[in-house]
Amino acid sequence: MQPLVHFKNVNKYYGKSLAVNNLDLQIERGKFVTLLGPSGCGKSTSLRMLGGFETPSSGTITLDGKDVTHLPPHRRNVNIVFQDYALFPHLTVGRNIAFGLELKGMPSEKIHARVMELLELVELQDYADRMPDQLSGGQRQRVALMRALAPDPDVLLLDEPLSALDAKLRHQMQIELKSIQEKTGKTFLFVTHDQEEALTMSDLIVVMNKGRVEQMGDPHALYARPVNRFVATFIGESNFLDAVVRSVDGNIATLDWCGHIIHATLTGPAAKVGSHVTVALRPEAIYAVSGQPDRKIALPGKVTNRLFKGNFTALTVGLHEGQSLVAQLDPVALAHLEGDDVWIGWREEDAVVLAD
Amino acid sequence: MRLYMKNPQNVFLTGFYWAFVAYLFVPLMLMTAMSFKDSNFISFPIDSFTMKWYVQVVQDEQFLSAVGYSLMIAFIVTVVATAIGVWIALLASNEAIWGKALIFALACLPAVVPGMIQAISMRIFIRAIDVPTGTFAIILGHTVHAVPFVVIMAMTRLRSMPSNLVDAARDLGADNFIAFFRVTLPYLGPALVGGMIFCALTSIDDFVRTFFLGGYQTTLPMLIFAKISGGMSPEINAMATLVLIATGAIGLYAERRVRRSRN
Repeated sequence: MQPLVHFKNVNKYYGKSLAVNNLDLQIERGKFVTLLGPSGCGKSTSLRMLGGFETPSSGTITLDGKDVTHLPPHRRNVNIVFQDYALFPHLTVGRNIAFGLELKGMPSEKIHARVMELLELVELQDYADRMPDQLSGGQRQRVALMRALAPDPDVLLLDEPLSALDAKLRHQMQIELKSIQEKTGKTFLFVTHDQEEALTMSDLIVVMNKGRVEQMGDPHALYARPVNRFVATFIGESNFLDAVVRSVDGNIATLDWCGHIIHATLTGPAAKVGSHVTVALRPEAIYAVSGQPDRKIALPGKVTNRLFKGNFTALTVGLHEGQSLVAQLDPVALAHLEGDDVWIGWREEDAVVLAD
Repeated sequence: MRLYMKNPQNVFLTGFYWAFVAYLFVPLMLMTAMSFKDSNFISFPIDSFTMKWYVQVVQDEQFLSAVGYSLMIAFIVTVVATAIGVWIALLASNEAIWGKALIFALACLPAVVPGMIQAISMRIFIRAIDVPTGTFAIILGHTVHAVPFVVIMAMTRLRSMPSNLVDAARDLGADNFIAFFRVTLPYLGPALVGGMIFCALTSIDDFVRTFFLGGYQTTLPMLIFAKISGGMSPEINAMATLVLIATGAIGLYAERRVRRSRN
């Protein structure tokens, strides 16, 4: 099936610096896709190129099969929700939402009906005659969203729209955004630096760094099977083990780590026997017990640091091999104190061999 | 409050301030008072009051036609200066334009060049390009002087305008032209009204440029000047008082508009 949006080998230079490096991305209709990365990674530039506010230095962008690479913003059927909302301060909420519809030449009764329908969707039907400066942050957010949805765009672009809200409202809006996306069946392209937002809402996450795509996949795949150090640290936290490959069987590698034989899943290209690789291990995949357990991996160590975080406790355990690993445990693990001797280990299916 | 008054420095400053206020208002009050005096001579004491000078003024054909002429010039000057001023403000606010500071400085120059110099140079200029003195020449002269007011007010307002408002309009289907008329201009609105009123007031008030560039028809300041040359009379006081009230009210209104638009 033809993708709704297709970035084909898109590059964007600002002077000599490469802001977007050979982006190749296909977005399917009706999906919630997130561009995730630190500031300056090229995610906003990519979004603005699809919106028509930046022109690629090379490559093409197609929308619904049509080449839109060089079309100005008003001639492409995508709409943006801006980071600071950019509501027109001199127009009422209703007129703000109607703006795009009026420019499409829709008759006024139809515009009114559409505006009311959209306001009902976010329960702001009584606010049509208010001015934007009479609204709270969350309400402005919703109005900006409805204004962008009103002209029925092929893709709705969201440029870090939640970053101006406080933490509690941000959580609430994540759920609301996702539900609006599901209700309307629209394709959303969302840009954020917040991994939690990305994991909560997305069907597909595209992790970007320094202008390139590091990895794309659904939230669970990205979390459980990061392909490199950047992804493994940008989304969640990871322990890294330096190991030597002993043998490879399918996508399971047998490794030598500090004299222990361990197994890990290969996510990237096949690793050569004898080469040094990095194994990533999520802190919550690690267990810690007081007595020697009857498990495949059981390593003795000493608790060097303990942090109580409410819903979990983070233990830093120094192993006799000189390595330190961080484990996230249930609050029950309060039993382990700093200086205590513990045994730690992990389920081997949770260990992943990284590409770098 | 008592503590404040005890400080000799503050007493001095406060006293000085009120002296200044008196200096500012006493002449105006005298002028107004004399306009009600039932006598041909402007001097104290005022024995009896009358409205006859006002009646005379509003029935004075010369006065009415001068007012009409001044207003007509002010109107045209305001419209032209606003169009030019907004255009320059947009140009000088555009990040991508080279020499923004120079554009801005040149546009504001007429506000600081002495009126006399401007008037003489304009007079020489219109002769050089064969434009006769008269209405058109006056409008040229006043417009050059009025443009800086619009530029400064429009630029101040533009600076507070979120840059992505225009992006949002374009994103929703507006080309640059529609975005300007439906978003930028309404955003500028309150500041522009203020700027336009100041334009009109500078034009109505102008004497020097009009004197050098004008033809046979007299504007209001020229008429008052001509009347004073023939000797002071309470009628002139009545005229000046009417002008004072009208311009004062409009000026205050404009100032409030502009201040509100900055919030």
